[in-house]
Amino acid sequence: MGTWDGILTGFAVALHPSVLIYCVLGVVLGTVIGVLPGIGAMAAISLLLPITFYISPEAALVMLGGVYYGAQYGGAVASILLRLPGTPQSAVTTLDGYPMAQQGRAGVALFASMMSSFVGSVIGIVALVWLSGWLASIATEFGAADYAAMMVLGLVAASTIGSQRPAKAFAMVVLGLILGCVGTDVNSGASRLTFGRTELLDGINLVALAMGLFGVAEVIGNIRDAERKGVPEHVNLRQLIPTREDLRRMTLPTLRGSALGCFFGALPGTGSTISSFLSYATERRIARQPEHFGNGAIEGVAGPEAANNAAAITAFVPTLTLGIPGDPIMALMLGALVIHGIQPGPMMLDAHPDMFWGLVVSFGIGNLLLLILNLPLIGIWVSLLRIPFRWLYPAIIVFVCLGVYSVRGSTFDIAAVAVIGAAGYLLALARFNPALLLLGFVLGPLIETNLRRAMLISRGDPMVFLERPISAFFVAVTVLLILGSLLGVWRRAKKAATPTG
Amino acid sequence: MQRDYHDLWGGAAMTATGAAVALYCLGHYDFGTMRQMGPGFFPVVLGAILAGLGLLIAIPAWFRAGVVAPFAALDAVVVLAAIAIFGFGLTRLGLVTSTASAVLIASLAAPRGGWLWRIILALVITVLTWVIFKQGLQMTIPVWPDF
Amino acid sequence: MIRIHRQATLALTAGIAILAAGMASAQEWPTEPIHVYVGFPAGSSPDTLARLITDPLSQRLGQPVVVENKPGAGGVIGVQQMLAGKENYSFGSTINGPLTTSPRLVPDTSYDVAADIAPVALLATSPLVLAVSADFPADDLAGFIAAAKAEPEAVSYGSVGQGSGAHLTAELFADAAGVQMLHIPFASYAEVTTSIIGGEINSGFMAPSAAMPQAEAGKMKMLGVTSTEPFAQVPDVPVMAGNAGLPADFRAELWNAFIAPAGTDPAVIERLNAEIDEILKDPKVQQQLMTMGWQAAGGTPDDLAQRITDDTQVWGTVIDKIEAK
Repeated sequence: MGTWDGILTGFAVALHPSVLIYCVLGVVLGTVIGVLPGIGAMAAISLLLPITFYISPEAALVMLGGVYYGAQYGGAVASILLRLPGTPQSAVTTLDGYPMAQQGRAGVALFASMMSSFVGSVIGIVALVWLSGWLASIATEFGAADYAAMMVLGLVAASTIGSQRPAKAFAMVVLGLILGCVGTDVNSGASRLTFGRTELLDGINLVALAMGLFGVAEVIGNIRDAERKGVPEHVNLRQLIPTREDLRRMTLPTLRGSALGCFFGALPGTGSTISSFLSYATERRIARQPEHFGNGAIEGVAGPEAANNAAAITAFVPTLTLGIPGDPIMALMLGALVIHGIQPGPMMLDAHPDMFWGLVVSFGIGNLLLLILNLPLIGIWVSLLRIPFRWLYPAIIVFVCLGVYSVRGSTFDIAAVAVIGAAGYLLALARFNPALLLLGFVLGPLIETNLRRAMLISRGDPMVFLERPISAFFVAVTVLLILGSLLGVWRRAKKAATPTG
Repeated sequence: MQRDYHDLWGGAAMTATGAAVALYCLGHYDFGTMRQMGPGFFPVVLGAILAGLGLLIAIPAWFRAGVVAPFAALDAVVVLAAIAIFGFGLTRLGLVTSTASAVLIASLAAPRGGWLWRIILALVITVLTWVIFKQGLQMTIPVWPDF
Repeated sequence: MIRIHRQATLALTAGIAILAAGMASAQEWPTEPIHVYVGFPAGSSPDTLARLITDPLSQRLGQPVVVENKPGAGGVIGVQQMLAGKENYSFGSTINGPLTTSPRLVPDTSYDVAADIAPVALLATSPLVLAVSADFPADDLAGFIAAAKAEPEAVSYGSVGQGSGAHLTAELFADAAGVQMLHIPFASYAEVTTSIIGGEINSGFMAPSAAMPQAEAGKMKMLGVTSTEPFAQVPDVPVMAGNAGLPADFRAELWNAFIAPAGTDPAVIERLNAEIDEILKDPKVQQQLMTMGWQAAGGTPDDLAQRITDDTQVWGTVIDKIEAK
């Protein structure tokens, strides 16, 4: 089936009332669970899965997909308004979204996030339709050495996010890497730093970590500030609509973020959290005035939000074209197909073209719905800021706890939130950046397992990192980046040494 | 003499954490070789780096003045207690009891007296969580204490 | 007369009521919702399998059967949570690991399978297939073993982690075939599959349902299956037992079982076993299980107990050999 025929078939499937209604249901639900802190697409999809036994496979996949990318829209709302990421993917959005809200530009930040989310999704859909073959071949091409080199590059590139003191920034990244070591070591089966708790064998719960570091720490620090800064007296249209200058500054970051997201989404095991971090790091690197970042730069909202939405769409590439789920959520979706007797795999597209194209078109419809749904909501979200904080924070605490509990039904994780929250508050007091800790935590296990796996596969030859072209490329860029930073430090030192005059 | 106490303590904490992790892992897990890195390799190396970075943060802070931000100890205790009560009670006391008590405890930190608003808030949030998590998302959690 | 009759009736009813009260636990069970703990997230394969059983079970028992997902530590947390549940109303549906290998491999498992767990019924079994990438030089098991014999670690295989079913099966195979293969652990079957297709590693033992679609697309070859009979989902793949010099009793199977805490009323276990056995005989359930790559099992609680003992012994020997390396 040709692409255009496919798209026509897709419209026939996706616009059928029995499918369309589930698309609407999915995206609305996705937005809601995205806004609610802690509870994310994973929990919502597992809870919904039993329902999908009773509907058609197309409707099931369309609905679950809607929850998945819908959550990416909603996740930014609490990040911007309350510095409380709705999902770990949008943690990086707090870095500039929240300062924007404090400057009275919450509406603009929300608009930027919605708009770039939409553009990112559309570009993701285009990539899914025209580049899926290419992206899938990259996914199988990438070996352990390539992943390790790429993640190290990501870590180096991102470890200067929003901090003036490099030592403090690196300390946070390293602390994140250490926390990422907790749990069963994939390579040896040894349980590390678990101190006899079975609950820690699978590692620290990412959601508990994100909610503790951001949510709880933020609540503790803000209770006494009776009047929170940047609360608009009354919301008018002016505050919601970005200026021409805002739009200009958003455009390129959105496009670059989308491209990054498309790429990382298609790689199994990387996903949208990493792509949003790397998009932020990229924007900060190439910005003419990087000092704006962390103080309400609209680029820092637009890029990551475009990236995580594009990644949410291209995550379907390996799932649909290779039958290989790139992340646990995709594994759940494939599980939903198996229930309906559809065998996921490389032949699935040929066997069920209706389903593929129906899904693709539903992505388009779903994202349009999300945009239409979310733009008018911006006004309501902003007016949320006018609710006194003493009414909000007890609710935030309860929602965070329930959201964390929803991940794996563990009250241990709720206790973990309290401990992480206490540590997070102390870190925030001493002005350590929690986003970097989260970055280290997400990238750490990927770097470690892939590095060790690459060394195993090469039978102990470290040259593997230079012999594989993909990995050699990443190593070269990493070295250049480090040399560049050192040069910058040296220049600044020289400048400081010579008296200005 | 004024010192940058936040960085001083922060750096010291990093050094302590890093050293503890590195020593614990060195003692408990196999370090391995380059070819077959053991489970101890990464934590030991990372712990040592963190300890070093901690010194880099703390030592300059000794010689420079800093601004001390107020430490909201009471608020922290109240918020953490609310989370602990909720976590302890969720499966034992049920959703309603634990939500209401967590909200009431958390609201103790609010800079405003009176009980009426606190009770109303607890009621509203309890109903909300019941509607969203029990009715909406069908989570398998007890609503009431199980006697 | 009438009066006497009525009195007699009253007495009789009262007597029955007293008797019934005494037998209530066995006769009227269940009187409240039953909880089935699953050590894997909702939507995962062990969870879906459990739900295929709990849905009809709920209808047969006339009480809701609530699946409680308590994922973690390879299913161990699910078993721990079951043991902490309410007597006669707390059960578990688990994969083989937590009942056979986890007590040895997972530190602080905190339960003793023989003392703390009462087997109820074996639900389903699945073999693993040995899959290699499409451009692997050998096309059959004998060729694979010959290639692996060329030199130690000439052939690599992927697993889903140290001590996983895929890892232990591969080591059991390597021991039986007299070869030494290079073990590369991954976090998920998705990664193993990607790595085999990409040509980074040579082979892997995996679920038939995961390898079959890749084989159909010409990206992988399936060289053998670890069950003693050909497996219905991949009927053309030869059994390994007795093939290419492997012993005739070579067998490695994954399974799922329904279990209860040791203190559960024997009458309750008997009832559950009977109901589950009938559910597993339903052709529709069997068909659904096969779509997911599982062969419906069944049998008595003693059959399951025997299975646990046998597998614990077989895998224990394999673990001994791995640890001795």
